[in-house]
Amino acid sequence: MNTVSLALHHEISQFLYHEMTLLDDWLFRDWLDVMASDIHYTMRTCVNAQTRDRRRSVQPPTTWIFNEDKHQLERRIARLETGMAWAEEPPSRTRHLLTNIQVTPVEGSEDEFDIRLNYLLYRSQKERDETYYAGMRQDRIRRTDSALGWQVCRRDIVLDQVVLTSHNISVLF
Amino acid sequence: MSTTIDFNALVDAKNGRVTPVIYTDPAIYELELERVFGRCWLFLCHESQIPKAGDFFNTFMGEDPVVIVRQKDGTIKAFLNQCRHRSMRVSYADSGNTRAFTCPYHGWSYGTDGALIEVPLETRAYPHGLCKEKWGLQEVTRVASYKGLIFGNWDEGAPDLATYMGDMAWYLDGVLDRREGGTEIIGGVQKWEIECNWKFAAEQFASDQYHALFSHASAVQVLGAKPDDDADKKLGAGQTARPVWETAKDAIQYGEDGHGSGFFFTEQPDANVWVDGEVSQYFRDTYQEAEDRLGEVRALRLAGHNTLFPTMSWLNGTATLRVWHPKGANKVEVWAFCIADKDAPQDVKDAFERSATRAFGPAGFLEQDDSENWVEIQKILRGHRARNTPLCMEMGIGNEKRREDGIPGITNYIFSETAARGLYRRWADLLMSDNWDEVIERTEAFKAEVLQP
Ligand code: FES
Ligand SMILES: [Fe+2]
Repeated sequence: MNTVSLALHHEISQFLYHEMTLLDDWLFRDWLDVMASDIHYTMRTCVNAQTRDRRRSVQPPTTWIFNEDKHQLERRIARLETGMAWAEEPPSRTRHLLTNIQVTPVEGSEDEFDIRLNYLLYRSQKERDETYYAGMRQDRIRRTDSALGWQVCRRDIVLDQVVLTSHNISVLF
Repeated sequence: MSTTIDFNALVDAKNGRVTPVIYTDPAIYELELERVFGRCWLFLCHESQIPKAGDFFNTFMGEDPVVIVRQKDGTIKAFLNQCRHRSMRVSYADSGNTRAFTCPYHGWSYGTDGALIEVPLETRAYPHGLCKEKWGLQEVTRVASYKGLIFGNWDEGAPDLATYMGDMAWYLDGVLDRREGGTEIIGGVQKWEIECNWKFAAEQFASDQYHALFSHASAVQVLGAKPDDDADKKLGAGQTARPVWETAKDAIQYGEDGHGSGFFFTEQPDANVWVDGEVSQYFRDTYQEAEDRLGEVRALRLAGHNTLFPTMSWLNGTATLRVWHPKGANKVEVWAFCIADKDAPQDVKDAFERSATRAFGPAGFLEQDDSENWVEIQKILRGHRARNTPLCMEMGIGNEKRREDGIPGITNYIFSETAARGLYRRWADLLMSDNWDEVIERTEAFKAEVLQP
């Protein structure tokens, strides 16, 4: 296993926790600053494939849920700021829980790292609406001289559900 | 099932009144499964999703799981996904390719033509002899395609697909027939559930442009390209960054036989401002071909909403095609497909997929707001008073007419509820009638009433 030092792992974990806190605290513009200008932010749908098809590595086509660059992420935040984004009115309460954080140095790069982690996102809305999103996430982060010392330049989110059991996704991961 | 429910009292389409108990009552829902979903043509999948022999796609007709299979001779059959032994499902994957459907319970195996071909321990278990011919998968009574879209119907007595679609086919062609090669589905299927009755969604896509102004105000505000915006919007000559309802020359709603559509007349072949620049450019590049095939109105009709009764909806220009699968009176499962011209270049197809996702996927800028409304409405209707209080459905009442200019069907100004009234009338007619002849008689009577001067 190509691991990193305990100190670096700690530093990176703290960065990821902090980034999630920005979302939970509705500091969306601050969160956007943590996204690199070349960010590619995706989420794919999941599918049920036959085992025999999987073995032949064919499976039903998937499609995007998110497929965003920084401009589009900014527009999402701008939408929330209009005061007319009804899916987030009143805004959801979210708790982003990150676990199983694995850090791998990017080959040939001093300051980029690949992260794989599991997440659980709890979303509470209105009086008693509750949703859980669980899955796996792969990030690529880059050391920069920005406020937090790091930025996210790639985020691929995998949701374990085939049918989303929430009526929409109006929160960020 | 016989009924004592007075649908005429619940749906007074003539005067524009609907009692919302129709969205909540479990007995009504059961009757819908039998008389609406058991008798209407329902969208199953697109031919491009099962190109090769043995390819299958799993979906639902009402709450019944149905598997659609491409046969060895290239034809298409659909079967109830239910083992004839003890009702187990015989196919689990969303789609794939197979030579047989083998039941996981006791191992009965069915060919892709639905025939029961293998029964484990057959001679020992059925010493009296099992007549395997009798126990094949139940085949969907009628399967028919329309320009790439495959539909199924359980009812022997239903009108054929073309008759069932009626004038709606003219509107549907605006998406399916723009170019020589027809259409295909790009990518997979987005699936999500909304805790609301299926009719809210079906009605909105049939009839409700009115909500867009308010519900989608945030999306319109942030997604509209500004004329001086040098981002990827590439506004074309004559295309406006203003919402189409502010700039359109005219706007029409169509509603007949339960189907409905609403759209604007624009001067340029430009789609909604929230699609990517490549998509807008593609519509301009292919305008002449579309106009030659469909005429000016439909070639320019790139912003519009539609429902083919009961549960297939789509948006022109935005490439989203969806089915509202009912899951109880209080729940619907949305299946959204991205549909685009087969002959479009790959980068344009990618742009279609991005645009459809961004606007109308489960995390879509516009989609988010619709579901929020429906979920909240369904909560309100838990109240006894709320669900027995008639709703106002009077918009544009009395202004229905047939046009002389070739735009077919019963029409009205876009901000009307003609299509909604027609949808609920057809729905009630289905629930009250014992057969299709009766349904058609009732619908014709309603149409005559609507068009009375
Ligand atoms: S239920 Fe299918 S073999 Fe018994
Ligand atoms: Fe809408």
